[in-house]
This record gives sequence, C-alpha cells and structure tokens, in this order.
Amino acid sequence: MTQSQSGGERPAGSFCGRTRREFLWQAGGGFTGLGLVDLLSRDRFFGGTARAADAVTRSANPLAPKLPQFAAKAKSVIFLFMYGGPSHMDTFDYKPKLYELDGKTIAVKTFGRGGKKNEGRVVGPKWKFKPYGQCGKMVSDLFPNLATCVDDIAFLHSMTADSPIHGSAMLQMNTGKILSGSPCLGAWANYGLGSENENLPGFVVMLDPTGGPISGAKNWSSGYMPASYQGTILRSAGVPVLDLKRPEAMSEEAQRRLIDTLNAYNADHHATRPDNSNLAARIASYEMAFSMQRHAPEAVDLASESPETQSLYGLDEDKTRDFGRRCLLARRLVERGVRFVQLYAGGAHNDSNWDAHGDLEQNHTYHAGRTDKPIAGLLKDLKRRGLLDETLVVWGGEFGRQPTAEYAKGTGRDHNAYGFTMWMAGGGIKGGVSVGETDEIGGAAISDRFHVKHLHATVLHQLGLDPERLSYFYNGLDQKLVGVEGAEPIKQIMA
Amino acid sequence: MPRIGTTTLLLLLPVLMPRIGAADDSAVSAEGARFFEAKVRPLLVDQCLKCHGPEKQKGGLRLDSRGGILTGGDTGPAIVPGKPDESLLVAAIRQVEDGPKMPPSKKLPSNQIDTLAEWVKMGAPWPGSKDVAPATGGTRKGEFKITDKDRQHWAFRPIKRPDAPKFTDQADVVNPIDAFVLSGLVAKGLRPNPPATRQELIRRATYDLTGLPPTPQDVDAFLADASPKAYEELIDRLLASPRYGEKWGRHWLDLVRFAETNSYERDSAKPSAWRYRDYVIRSLNADKPYDRFVREHLAGDELADRDVESITATGFFRLGIWDDEPSDREQAQFDALDDLVATTSQVFLGMTVDCARCHDHKLDPIAQKDYYRLVSFFRNVTPYRNGGPTDEVPFIEPGHEKEAAEQTMALEQRREQIRKSITGLESEFRKRNGSDESEGRRPDIEELRYRFYRDTWERLPDFAAIKFEEAGELPGGLFDLAKRSRDDAFGFVFEGVLLVPKSGEYRFHLDSDDGSRLSVGGKPVVVHDGIHGEGNEQTGTVRLSEGRVPIRLEYFQRGNGLGLSVAWSGPGFDRRALSAPHRSQRTKADLSEVIRKDGARVLGAERFERYQVLRKQLRELTDQKAVPGSILAVSEPGRVAPDTFVLIRGNAHIPGDKVEPGFLQVLGAPDPKIPAPSDEAKTSGRRRVLADWIASPENPLTARVIANRIFQHHFGRGLVRSPNNFGLQGDAPTHPELLDWLASELIAQGWHMKPLHRLIMTSNAYRMSSRANPEAQAKDPTNDSLWRFDMRRLTAEEIRDSILAANGTLNLKMYGPGVYPEIPAEVMAGQSVPGQGWGKSPPEEQARRSIYVHVKRSLLLPMLESFDLAETDRPSPVRFSTTQPTQSLAMLNSTFLNAQASLLADRLRREAGDEPRAQVRLALRLVTGREPTEGELARGLDLIATMTSREMMKPEAALRAFCLIALNLNEFLYLN
Repeated sequence: MTQSQSGGERPAGSFCGRTRREFLWQAGGGFTGLGLVDLLSRDRFFGGTARAADAVTRSANPLAPKLPQFAAKAKSVIFLFMYGGPSHMDTFDYKPKLYELDGKTIAVKTFGRGGKKNEGRVVGPKWKFKPYGQCGKMVSDLFPNLATCVDDIAFLHSMTADSPIHGSAMLQMNTGKILSGSPCLGAWANYGLGSENENLPGFVVMLDPTGGPISGAKNWSSGYMPASYQGTILRSAGVPVLDLKRPEAMSEEAQRRLIDTLNAYNADHHATRPDNSNLAARIASYEMAFSMQRHAPEAVDLASESPETQSLYGLDEDKTRDFGRRCLLARRLVERGVRFVQLYAGGAHNDSNWDAHGDLEQNHTYHAGRTDKPIAGLLKDLKRRGLLDETLVVWGGEFGRQPTAEYAKGTGRDHNAYGFTMWMAGGGIKGGVSVGETDEIGGAAISDRFHVKHLHATVLHQLGLDPERLSYFYNGLDQKLVGVEGAEPIKQIMA
Repeated sequence: MPRIGTTTLLLLLPVLMPRIGAADDSAVSAEGARFFEAKVRPLLVDQCLKCHGPEKQKGGLRLDSRGGILTGGDTGPAIVPGKPDESLLVAAIRQVEDGPKMPPSKKLPSNQIDTLAEWVKMGAPWPGSKDVAPATGGTRKGEFKITDKDRQHWAFRPIKRPDAPKFTDQADVVNPIDAFVLSGLVAKGLRPNPPATRQELIRRATYDLTGLPPTPQDVDAFLADASPKAYEELIDRLLASPRYGEKWGRHWLDLVRFAETNSYERDSAKPSAWRYRDYVIRSLNADKPYDRFVREHLAGDELADRDVESITATGFFRLGIWDDEPSDREQAQFDALDDLVATTSQVFLGMTVDCARCHDHKLDPIAQKDYYRLVSFFRNVTPYRNGGPTDEVPFIEPGHEKEAAEQTMALEQRREQIRKSITGLESEFRKRNGSDESEGRRPDIEELRYRFYRDTWERLPDFAAIKFEEAGELPGGLFDLAKRSRDDAFGFVFEGVLLVPKSGEYRFHLDSDDGSRLSVGGKPVVVHDGIHGEGNEQTGTVRLSEGRVPIRLEYFQRGNGLGLSVAWSGPGFDRRALSAPHRSQRTKADLSEVIRKDGARVLGAERFERYQVLRKQLRELTDQKAVPGSILAVSEPGRVAPDTFVLIRGNAHIPGDKVEPGFLQVLGAPDPKIPAPSDEAKTSGRRRVLADWIASPENPLTARVIANRIFQHHFGRGLVRSPNNFGLQGDAPTHPELLDWLASELIAQGWHMKPLHRLIMTSNAYRMSSRANPEAQAKDPTNDSLWRFDMRRLTAEEIRDSILAANGTLNLKMYGPGVYPEIPAEVMAGQSVPGQGWGKSPPEEQARRSIYVHVKRSLLLPMLESFDLAETDRPSPVRFSTTQPTQSLAMLNSTFLNAQASLLADRLRREAGDEPRAQVRLALRLVTGREPTEGELARGLDLIATMTSREMMKPEAALRAFCLIALNLNEFLYLN
C-alpha cells in the first residue's frame, strides 16, 4: 500500500491541472529528422503552418528538431534493455553475506510472480566478485569485460518499481505507467526534441533474434500521442526498416520516374488548393522516403567498420556476434543523429531472456556471456570517438531478482521489484560511482531509494528536458512521463 | 480483503478517533521542550519538511507545527499523542509492510525512528506551537463548492431550442443551420464560400456517409440527374446504404475503446467481441434512437424489454484493457472501474469525471465524491475474467429459443448415455477382475477437474478472478493435492459432479491445512477458511436429491505443511473418502488407474478400446456447449451491490467515506432512488437508473455531446473542438446556438440520428466549396466561422477500403468474427511469440472492409496504424492526421500496395480493354471520381511509354506502375 506506488497516485497537494494549453499535434512531418514543415519552408514550398485533423488547430511539425529546454548533456540515448530482469546480487550488487547464507532458510519479505512470501531459502551468489578500476567497484565474474569500464559507469543499486510481474513492469519501465496505453520514454524524447537525421527514424528499437518482449509493440508505442513518435523496429540484417526496399522489379531510376510523375499530378492538384500545407507536406514526404531508401541502408552496413572495431564488439565470436552487431549499429545510429536507440538483450519467453526461474547459472552465464563484451566494446568505442560525452547509455531490466530460491530445489530466483540495480554511463553522468543500497541480502532497497520515474526523469534531464515541464495535453490535462506527482532527476550521479 | 493487514487498520483508526485535545504551551515540560528542540525539531527539518512543510504538502500533510501533525493529511492525523504504535507517522518511518514508507528514498536510522516514537509517547511536546493547523497550499483543504458561475457554464444549462436568426435574403439559408452559421459570418464581415461542384459534392457525401468512394456510374448518374431533388435523393440513398453503419460505427468504436484483445503480456482474445461491433453497425443502420442506444449500452441486461441486441450492447463494459496478473489486485479492480467511469463520462457526457479519482477535479466542479458516486453505479459489475459465465451469455438467435433448449437437453442426454455405457463397462471389469469395493468402486465424483494457482493468501481468495497456472482432470474422482508444483503458497479449485445414490441427508467432513471450502449443489456446506493445521475437522449437513449434483472444493496452502481430507456419509453408507489418501498411505489404486493398467487383459482388447473411446467422448462432450455462440456481456453477481467508499488519493487500500449512487452534483439532478430489484432480478438495477438519467432529454450534456459528434464527423471538427470535454476547460462551442438547436432537434426527432445527418448535409454550409478565399482566410484563418468547407484526408480505414474498392476486389460481406489480413513477418517479429493471436484468412476475406479486421491491441495492421488508427486503450474522440515518410514508403513499396496495384491493372484490362488510353482514363476515374483532363491522360500514357521503352518494363508491368501512382495521388487521399 505504499502510496507512491498504486495506480492512482495523485497527492492532493500537487496540481494536476494543465499549466498551459498543449495543442494537439496533428499535422506535418514524419519521423525523419528535419521535419517536413521545416524542410519545406526552407524550400519555399509553402509558408506558414500545417493544419490539424480538426482542420482548425495550427501546429508545427512534430518531429522538427527542437531546442532542449536547457543545455543538454546528452544528444542521444542508448537503452540496453535486459529483458526478463537480471539478478542484481549476481552481477553488480555485491552481497558478501549472501554466500554464507546459501541454502539456509531465512525470514525475508519477497514479492514475485509466486506471490508474497515471508521466508525463503537463500541462493548464494553463483559468481565471485572482484574490485575493478580506480573506483574499486566490485563486479561479478559474469562481466569481465564490462568490469573494465566501471570508472565510466554510475550504478544505481536502489531501483524500485511498482510491479514484479513482467507485463506491467515492462510497461512501467518503458512508459512510466503500469497500465497499457501511454507513450514510452523514446516517444517522449522524440516528442521533446525531434530528430536530427531525416533519413532515419528518431526512435529505433532493435529486438532480440528470439523475438520481441511480451506485450510486443506496446513497449515502443506512442500511446495517446501521434504515431509519428513511436519506435521504429530496425533490423540488424537485411532491409533495416519495414517497406524500405523497393519491389524486386523496380529499379531506382524507374521509381524516380514514378515519383516524378506522381509529383506532377500532385502539383496540379495542389495548385487548386494552394493554401493546404498538408498537400505539400505529402508531396515532400515522397522525396524524403526516396532519400531514406538511398541513405538508411548505409547506416546499417558494417562493412566500413575496421576488423579491430568489429572485434572490439565481439563480432568475431559466435557467442557475441548478434548482440555485438546491434551494439555497433547503435553507435552508428547515434553518430547519425538518431535520438533514442533501444536494444533488447533477450526476447520471447522463459530462458530466452534474463528471466532465470529455473537454472540461474545457466541462464545468466548465457545472457551475460553474449552481452558482456559487446557492451564493453560499445562503451570503449563511444569513448575513443568522443561520443560517450553526448551519448547516455542506460543498462537494466524491468526489475531484479530475489535473494531466495523460487522453488524447493534449484537456483532459480523469482522477480524482485523491491530493489534492483541499473546503471548509466556517458551523457553527463559521473563515472565510478555507486548510489543507493539494498539490504545486506539484496532483498529491498534501503537507502536513496529510486523509482523508475526517477530514472526517467534523469534521462529526460540529461537530454535537456525538464521532466516536470515536458508535458503533452491529453484527456483534459498535461500528461507527463513522470506522472502528476513528478520526480526529480538523480542528482548524485550527474557529473 | 485478505491482504489488508494490521497496518491498514492502523491507518484507518486515527480517522475515527476523537481528536485528543492537547497541551498548549504551558503543558510542555522543560524536559519535553529540551527533547523536542535537541532531537525532534532538527530531525523534522532535515528529513521531513522538504515535502511536508511550508513549500510542499505532499499528501496534504504539514509537519512544521504540532497542529499540522495533529490535523494530519489525507489519511488522517499523523500521530496519536502518547501512542506511537497507533500513530501513522511512526508506522510510516518504521516502514512497516503494506504501509506508506517515509521518507520515500530511504529508511531513517533506527535511533531517529526511536526518537520520534519516544517523542510521540511523551505526548508530542512542541513548545510554542499551537494546535491549530496552518493552511496548506492549494485548494484541497477548502471545502468543495459549486458556485453559481459553475452552474451557469454553457454545457450545464438546460438545452433550450433557440430561434434561428431571420434573414431577409434567404438565398444562403436552406435550413436553420445556415441561419446560425450565416449570422456568425455576417458578424465577422464574411460571406459563405460558393457551393462545391456536383462532382465534389457526391464524392464528399459518399465518403461521409459510407467511407467509400462513389463509383464512376454513381457519379455519372448524379451529374446527369437534373431533378431539383437529386441531391436530397442521393443523401437518402446513402443513408439507407448498409455501408452507413460501417462508416459511422467506426466513429463509435473509437470512442468506446473497442478492441478484441486484452493487452499486456498475453494480449489474449476477448470472447466474441466482434458481436459488439456488429451490434453497433446494425443499430446505426436501423437508425436506433440514441437514447435507446445509450440505455442498451449501460443497462441492456436490466431493461424490461431486453433482448439479444441489448445484451450484446453491454459488451461495452468488457472492451477495456485487462491485466490478468496485476501486482495489486484490489487496485486493479478499481482501475477497471475507472475505465468504466472514464469511458462512460467522456463518451456519453463529454466530461472527464475520471480526473476526480484521487481528489476533487482541479478544473471542473466535480467532487471526488461525485466520482465515487458514479463508481457506485458500477460497483456490482462482476470483474472481467476474459470469458466464462460472468462475461458470456449463450448466443441464441431471436426466435430460436426453443431450439436452443432442445439442443441443451439433447447434449445432456448424450452425456448421460455415454456415462451409462462407461459405468456398464466398469461394472463388468470389477466383476471379471474380482475387485473389492475399495479398489474398483466407481468413484463418487465424476468429471472431476482441478485448477492450480500460485500465490500467497491468508484466506481463500476469489479464485475466479485469478489466473490459474495449470488445469487438468482427476479421473480417479478424488480431491487430490498431488498435482501441485510446490509445497507452499498455492491453491486449488476442484469441480466435479457428485453422484448422489438416493435422496436424503448427507454429512460432509472437511479437514485441511490451510483453508478450504466445500460447496455442494452451488451452496457452501463446510467452510474451514483461514490459516490452520489439520486435526480440527469441520462438518456440514445437507439434503440432496438422487442424481448428479455439482461439487466444488476450494483450497489454499500458505506455508509449513499441507493436507486435505474430505469424506461424506449418508443413507446406507458410512463415512467414505472423497479425497486421495496422503501419499504415504496410498496403497490401492483407484478404479481408472486399475482399468488403465489391466483393462485390456480383463475386458479384452476390443471392449477396452471402446471404454477408452467412450472416456474420450465424454471428455469432449463435457467441454462442448449446447449453444456454440456466446455474447460478450456484463453481469452482476446478485441484487445487492457491495458498499462503495471514497478512496483516499484513489488508493484502493484506504477507503474513506461511504457513498451511494449519485449524479454529478453540478447538474442539479436530485439524488437517484434505486428501485428495489424484483425477486427474479439478477442485478442491482443501478445501471438502469444511471442509463435513464443519461438518456434523458433533461440531461443537458447527452444530446449536446452526440449532436456535436455528428457535426464533427461531417465537418472534420466539432462545434466544440474537445468532443470528450465539455467542462470548464474544454473548448467553448464556436456556434453555441447552433449546437443547442441541433441537440434539441435530435431530441425532437425522437433521438433518431439519420434526420440530423440529412439536415446537416442538405445545409448550404455543408455544400460549400473548400477552396481558398484570401480575404476570408485573412480574417478567419482557422475557419472558426465556417466560411468554407474544410478539406480532409481520408481516415486509415477509408484509405485501405478505397484501394480495395478502386481495384474492384472489396468484399462487402458484413458481420462476423474478425478477419486477419496478412501482416509482414518483420512486424510479427516484434511479438514475443511471432504470429501468436493472428490468424490466416483466405484472400477474399482479407479484402473485407477494415472495420472487420480483428483488432489486436499489441499488433495493429501496419497499413492502418501508419495512417493514424485510433489509440485502442482509451476513448479516442479525434483522429490524428499525420503525414510521414513511412506512409509513403508503405504506399510505394509494401507488398500490400503492390499487390493491390496489380489487381487494379487487372481490372483496367478487364474493363477498359488493351488500349492504354482507356486504361489510364478508367484508372484516374476510379481514384478521383472525375473525368481526367487531356494533360492528365497524356502524363499517364507518357509514364507507361517511358517505363516500357526506357526501363525495359513489359506493358503489364508498366501498367502496374501507373496503377501504383494512381493509388498514391493526393487527390485520391484527400476530400475536397
């Protein structure tokens, strides 16, 4: 009954009314960087503003790049989503006492998919921890490569979420709400800042080869905002974006002729309604689509990457090739101005992701094994290219795991939203720090407790957006990613 | 409420406690003062006042004075002086389970917690502080008041039919709509645009009423029709078309968050949700009066003249999102009620009552109490469970009731027949095998099934509301815990049929660790709930008639040991076990196991096989429903609704004052009296009362809201541009008198909507051209005064349907389960199990209108989604109209578009022959609805020629390429 948790948290002291009228964005450009209106007005295609579906509301292009509300630390975000919920006490949250307790039944309050329990059999951490870096951060043997980057990382050991169930917890980590239907973090970034590359989506999602996460597209949805802000699935091989490839029989020249003919028809039509900017916007959208077709494939072509770089991400090993490839793509995308990249480590169900209910050792060895080197490679590569300063990297799952066993036998751990670890690096985040703590067995956060919305607030803040002011008018009030109650960014980890 | 522990009670207690009159200054001892100043004040300042001080008062709480602490916040006084264990503040800093945990970011060191507890124990001495609370910020503390100004808000005033303004020059005034519009224009010094061309008009009207383009024949006929009534007849013809319900039904489905799945992890399909969609289409086509439509939605099961239609309408209650495993079940129940309040109030009343869930509405004169009074109407609605008797009603086609009853009877007879054969074979087995009674006796319970659940409870939960983990059969006919997957924190529900050998009195014995409940014939006979061990057997007696009686056993186990023992005794027999013996004691196998093992030997192969076939048949027949179809519908568990309480801050665990059903106070309607339900009633009758109030001509909102929606979908925007918000902060109507006139006209027409369509569409205002007029544009760039008709882009469904219509493959079959157009594998890859929940439909089914496409919340048809389909999870009053390059990519490159272009080319060859000029001409006619110019023809021919000569395309391919362009024309996608 923690009051900050339940669905309807709206303290009477806070003001949930709108502070300003947010007009519906309904017209104008698409997901590409330079929004249509902006582009077209430069070309003197038309002057003035676009028009909304209600044919009255004037609005600007939704995805024209916008200035942040204050100086941004980060231009882009790479969210490495460890779907399924990695175990914090087996990775980054060192709990020496837990080893001694292995196998003992102790009193501990837990809440997972198996319900609430008051006691359980401790599963000692299955890996050893060692200090790394200047900061001496203790990291488990699961991440020998990533451990060498700890001086660039800020660990948040006291994360909490409202739900220990995948469905609602995934939605909360992505949209801030446990109820379905709200825009996700990437959509808010897209909405707040627009995009900077007209040939690539502003918000890209790359899925695990085993499948998407549960609830599928709800995890990259724009909710009640226009579809322009939603995440676009980008494939790491083949045609990167849906419908980007011309039909087999259509050459580029042939398609150019088609579009030229289309433009001629549409120009005639537009001449009869010169005041309708949407008609012009639609004409231009074909040019942008054509241009995307030409340029987007280059972004996903890794041929120009040196063997050394490819090896840095683990592309030369079977185990790490897939995730390494996606990490390298993530770097190429942010280099090209993509605002928000979300990468799923793990997909589908059960042990295809970090959801270690059965054999913890097997599960985490596998998932850490295929991501450790690629993530370390990403951080190092970003750093040596000077990109880490402007790229915020976020790592974590929808929750953590319990210190105790789920079943009578075995090492599987159930879900834990009372306390878990996430980390951030780059984008104005201090390296080599750890904030917040769980109790001595990792059961629950006890100091500097942070909620998912604090994490969201921090991401927005680093992007130069004020989480309390970034709002979207819907259903009678100014909706915010951090909810009506608001949330402050995590100041302790800011450089 | 098993999960509400002592803490919650603690929270509630102080609210009820009398204020302790406290010590003023003089009563503070020197010791108390020292303790406070040295230890308590610094602690409060450091740890608490940032959120509970002069700047902020989170939860309405101020901790910077003794008075503030005693007054407390939303959940009542923060402390009870002298009693730390009863003080909310102390509980919060101790961070007890299930309570508020303060400070939110950490737990205070134990010495600080002890300090505060000690201070409370001392009586909370605070030198120099009065016991009167200082004012908190915001308006919450102020009493909720409705002012005269609130009541005078335009939308809250009674609807009065205004007189239409009179004009001497009547040329521009066809009907009163024009008079209201014209008077606005005149006031601004504007003139209405000239009329649209007839060709523009037929395209506009056809799309507006059917969502489809007029055929070239329709256009020709209309252009050739010299009758002065030609246009009126066109409107009448379109209004009579079945396509009307498909077009306008879609507008309604947007509002009621129509979807056919539940969202969340499984996003499973709702049973028969498509019947609701069909109901909407049928109702609109029949021009059902809107007040009836409303009553059917809210109380279709409570109407005296209820029928299949009205029951189907109540599917409205079941369309929302549903999390089958919420982390907080009580809260989730109120989230579901919130969905009903939000949808009902926004859709029917144009009010965002849901903003008052946690506190009084910040903008509108709606008290938090109003919200819960509205909740109270729905409080007795059975929580959604995604199917089963509480969500589904057998679908019996009107007039076929007798048939359905016969089918039910026939099915039961067939089951009985098979049972007899099985029993016969079993007796024979026993005889031949020489089994004794205990080994081979026919079990007392047949068709026994179990459902296994995992969770922690202290009392038996409402299992029906919980997702089970596993289900199966227990052919041995004995209650058995053996199918559990673990030894603690689990539950079982067993259901079967008890064979009562003769009528008489029976005694049931029940012992369990932990709780259990045994029901026979639908009534609890022995209840042994709670946490306890075995050894305290409970019994119950019941009279039963000979025959087959349903039996149900619920059981849960929390931790530390488990056990279950059930038995019965009755006329002619002593105690006999109904549960499996504990594993250690289990020596003899039950009959079904024995037969499985030895059946072939004892009975012979043939008869053994027959026995197995019969068993399988019985299993299948048990699953079979006599009436195969079902209706997704609302239900209530009985006539008495549970109490409704205001929930403090919307928190399901902190009930406040009790409320009774009531209407929005600002509208001034007297409190409703809920008539006592009749003895036959299955529901509380509350929703009927709400429906009557909403559907009343006296309700100032209902008619205005729907009249505005009708206007909105003809003109592209409502007279009120916030169609779901008629409150103080909604948009004021651009033409208030016109809105009232339309609303009163709708009521005057008996709430029939078609006459209103006809009025609107025959007005001059509707028939104006959409062309620009620089002068008017300068004076009124947003066309607030309706000096012209606004162009609009087709909706997602209109675009897809028009493509199919253009190439002649559109399948106009109506109704039935949703269809599954092909979705690219790349999009399916986003699902956790690619392809799950998306069927395969044959090509002709895939070519049906978009309204019949299955609506899966987490997997929308990309083509529709990209053109701004409505958000599925909440009421969606206005569609976006975005323009993005992804749309262009799909329109040029997608498999769907290229296949459709190819079909269009086929049609052109079929209908226009092999001559390119005729082909191009027909294509352009089909997509624009008009005769192409010479230049347009030449451009198309030129493209085809170039594609053939320069790109080396075959003529067929060149024609396909031209067809693709035709389907991409702005003129195709935009309406003048």
